[in-house]
Amino acid sequence: MTVEILFKNITKKYPKGPEALKGIDLEVGKGDLFTLLGPNGAGKSTLVKIATTLIRKDSGEFYVGGENPDFDFSNIRRHIGVALQDNELDPAETVENILRFQGRLFGLTKTQAQQRANELIDAFELETERTKKCETLSGGNKRRLHCALALVHRPKVLFLDEPTVGMDPEARARFWQVITHLNKNEGVTVFLTTQYLEEADKHATQMALIMDGTIHYRGSVTEFKKMVNSGEQLTLEESYLAFMTQSHQPYIVTD
Amino acid sequence: MSTNKLIITRSILKLAKQPTAPIMGFAMSLFFLLVYNAGIGGIGHMEAFGDKGYLAFIFPITIISLAMGSSSGAGQTLNADMQSGYFRRLYLSPVSRSMLVIAPMLADTLSSLIFTAILLGIGALFGLPFQFGLVSVAGILMLSLLWATTLCGFSAGIMLRTGQHQSATIVTNAVFPLLFLSTTFLPRELISSQWLLTVSWANPVTYVLEANRYLIGGTSSHGFFILGLLILTITAILSVAFAWRSAKKIKI
Repeated sequence: MTVEILFKNITKKYPKGPEALKGIDLEVGKGDLFTLLGPNGAGKSTLVKIATTLIRKDSGEFYVGGENPDFDFSNIRRHIGVALQDNELDPAETVENILRFQGRLFGLTKTQAQQRANELIDAFELETERTKKCETLSGGNKRRLHCALALVHRPKVLFLDEPTVGMDPEARARFWQVITHLNKNEGVTVFLTTQYLEEADKHATQMALIMDGTIHYRGSVTEFKKMVNSGEQLTLEESYLAFMTQSHQPYIVTD
Repeated sequence: MSTNKLIITRSILKLAKQPTAPIMGFAMSLFFLLVYNAGIGGIGHMEAFGDKGYLAFIFPITIISLAMGSSSGAGQTLNADMQSGYFRRLYLSPVSRSMLVIAPMLADTLSSLIFTAILLGIGALFGLPFQFGLVSVAGILMLSLLWATTLCGFSAGIMLRTGQHQSATIVTNAVFPLLFLSTTFLPRELISSQWLLTVSWANPVTYVLEANRYLIGGTSSHGFFILGLLILTITAILSVAFAWRSAKKIKI
């Protein structure tokens, strides 16, 4: 397996807060659609924020695409696309303009940025919203645009933190169509956190379970279900719930 | 176009689309100019004001209040981006973090310069003298630039550290009393209170006023101009450094 994302003994403690991460060791393979599961406050978002260079780790090392952000975080940013929990839109800009500007920020020419904006407007079915200001969009359309922005520069690695929150079922289906296409056809590595376990079950192949800042499982989704259910055919959500009621002792499956 | 230019252009366009802060600053300056000149301009014949009249004496306050009114613009632009979450989107792009803070400051400073130039034009229509002609104009613009940089840098820095919208105006509110503890309305010779005279010597606003007065009416000395320029250069550097350091402490 070629490693795309590597965390080595990552720790993070917020000032006056709890120890959010207690020595995370994790590898994500190139081209994987990987999901990080865990209850609220387990440390999922903190790990994503560290990986995307939004916050600093206290100790440990991590690499994305072989790059160490301790030396050059701007280079990592060129290779990653990020869609976090909250929408990150300029309310006064139009859908088309904000996509175009995003492309320009990542070095596309005016023509390329316009072309890419058109592609994403088409992919996320935002044509009727093209000239509307972000502040006037519905919650679902804001979410679509938020996710589209993460893809403008054709990143090699996508970090998606609860990406489909607020999307209607149709938009979610369309979103996953785009993401799985990128993953399968263009080899984009996807690092996903979600509370919609049916989405993780359907799309992810590899997973990790984090609780209280510690990884309690790392392996394939299929293996996780087998491990928890001892042969019984359960969904990921059912397996997850069963696991949570069982021992929280670490159980690492290495590839 | 480089990413830095893109971010600076965006900041300028943002300010142009929402010019509340600079327009408020400009309105406040005009208010000072018109009301004070009309209300107490008659005292300008007193010897302590020199031979250029009260307009030349009071005009520097319009320059100072202009930047005071508009200096919160950078902080407000940053705040709007932070509130909407878009700042994080920009933060995740390859643009340097410092440029995300410097760009709205540049836009603010540019708007201050433009409105200062307009004020100077209005002043000229009112008969404002320029002691050294175009050199005076250039000097006033330079002082205005440094003053605006000082205020908007501290304003943006405080906003970034606190993440509070209201904090963008802290600097304006803090500087406002300094106007009244200076030689704003009367020259030192006419200030009768000893404590106020003492405070005015320690008040940096005094030197900014006097530096402008040297350039406008020649009613202050060359030394004051040098001192005012020096003080503003130092405060502008400190302010930019503060804003730059604050960029590293942004609460994402």
